[in-house]
Amino acid sequence: MAVDKLASRSTEGSARAHRTPGWWAGSSLRPIIYGLLVVGALVQVYPIFFLLMNTLKTDTQILNTPFSLPTSLSLAPFVDVWTGERTGMFFGRYFFNSVIVLAATLVLMLSISCLCGYAMARGQFPGNGTLHQALLLSLAVPAHALAIPLYFFVGSLGLRNSLFGLTLVYAALGAPFTIILMRAYFMHMPVELEEAARIDGCGRLGVFLRIVVPISRGPIAGMAIININWIWSELFFSLILMNKADVRTLPLAIALYKPAPMTVETVLGLQYAAMALATIPVLILFFLFQRQIASGMTMGAFK
Amino acid sequence: MATVNSRQGERAAGGSRLIRNFRNALPWYLFIAPASLMLLALMAYPLFDTLRLSLFKWGGLGPQTFIGMRNFSKLFGDEVFWRALSNSLIFAIVVPFVTVSIGLFLGVAISRRMKGWQIYRIAFFIPVMMSGVVVATLWANMFEYNHGLFNTVLRGIGLEGLAQNWLGDRNVALMSVMLVPIWQSVGFPMIVLLAAVEGIPQEMHDAATMDGVNEWQRIWGLIVPLIKPVLASITMLSIIGAMKVFDIVLVMTKGGPAFSTQVLGYYLFETAFRSGNFGYGSAIAVVMFAVVFAVAYGYVRGVRIESVEH
Repeated sequence: MAVDKLASRSTEGSARAHRTPGWWAGSSLRPIIYGLLVVGALVQVYPIFFLLMNTLKTDTQILNTPFSLPTSLSLAPFVDVWTGERTGMFFGRYFFNSVIVLAATLVLMLSISCLCGYAMARGQFPGNGTLHQALLLSLAVPAHALAIPLYFFVGSLGLRNSLFGLTLVYAALGAPFTIILMRAYFMHMPVELEEAARIDGCGRLGVFLRIVVPISRGPIAGMAIININWIWSELFFSLILMNKADVRTLPLAIALYKPAPMTVETVLGLQYAAMALATIPVLILFFLFQRQIASGMTMGAFK
Repeated sequence: MATVNSRQGERAAGGSRLIRNFRNALPWYLFIAPASLMLLALMAYPLFDTLRLSLFKWGGLGPQTFIGMRNFSKLFGDEVFWRALSNSLIFAIVVPFVTVSIGLFLGVAISRRMKGWQIYRIAFFIPVMMSGVVVATLWANMFEYNHGLFNTVLRGIGLEGLAQNWLGDRNVALMSVMLVPIWQSVGFPMIVLLAAVEGIPQEMHDAATMDGVNEWQRIWGLIVPLIKPVLASITMLSIIGAMKVFDIVLVMTKGGPAFSTQVLGYYLFETAFRSGNFGYGSAIAVVMFAVVFAVAYGYVRGVRIESVEH
């Protein structure tokens, strides 16, 4: 409910704000505010620029002339970290591990969450309210508090060092929040279409798969977008559950990669290239889905 | 006779209603089954098992020895634990306070759509999207004593004296580490508070303008009271996030030097997964759970009381 209200409010708000001039247009605070914004924006962006520039520099350049621009433009460092020939860490592999875990987690988490959220929104069955309460409570449980038993439980299933095991854990950790938001969305979705399909003899699952899911593509994609970020960055469970080198995810590999600077000409540059490898997809995603990301993040905080 | 019959009829109807209810509910139970089973196995069970394990001494293999509250009494006398707890609490106060304050300033400033507002919005939001490990590695490199960006700049402009061993000096390390999540996450409260500020009806701004308020009064008298619920929820999310800090500490300091940046999440990890004290680690997990839960509970109660008052 709060979600819908917010969405409509913020679009109205932006339309209005475009029409009216700023209320501090004539204010003496204006130059100060501008100054703070410019300095702040530089502080936010420069380190990222620094990261990207350093991928192309030698260790000497990185350490002695941090502000210089790279002298050559080459993809060699990226090729090196991707194949792992000079680092001994096969970041191409870790990249794919991360992509696989991300995709599998999204599919699994969104499937179970949509089914569950839909049933909670439409169904009348004993235990519905209890389930909702339990899901809300679970939001206040830090994942660290589950780590020790999960480590042994996942191990007893034989799923330690398995991308599938990590996927199961991530899907469970992300599900409560996703279910709660999907339930809220389904509660406000008009029920008429579904009723018509029921009269035509369609079963509950048929209605869900043929009608509800297709018309909910937007919100489902929104839930995917707001979950991508934490799944792509997650370190703690990856560190605990993935001990073998070939199943590491990208954040884990970056955390474990300890180059010794100045031993060869470019060791630091390779570390920066590995970091860029984890960052560039996220930046691309951000520029493609800016709007959805902002509204998704907002939606989460308003619940 | 008649009454008996009708009672039997009732019972039969009641029974069939029960069956009918069950048959109606059955598909819904199948819908919630996958999620429920997964959450029972991977959240509910581990949570209760953490509580149980906190009463045992266990090295991971072999028998678990029941020792009652001894893990907790040991925690009570454990200096590193107190360091970790107090650092976590410092984190959970300083980081959210600074982040949300800056985010509020940015949200209010950007909400007026002055020239280039979209550039600022993007600039402040990009770090939010980056992974914590990357951000921590990047900052660890910038904080490095001999060749890090900060010390190079300070020496370059003749402020040699201000150059610090940012991550190696126990008086400075915690501050340096706290700077990183602040840098990374100011964009998050900004984007949320921006939406909230935009939601304030223009009429209220117009009315305030007619009353002749200055900018300061407008911010504290109009905007902040109206977006207070959002401010509260974002602060709570930020506090919970800060209580769970782990990536940054692992990458930047590993809790050192001299435990000056030790936090609950990292101490739990070290105790359980590095030293193999799973019972004692569970006790730390229970404390962490209790603190986070208390913050969330306090928030929910606070919001409820407020909504009753108004």
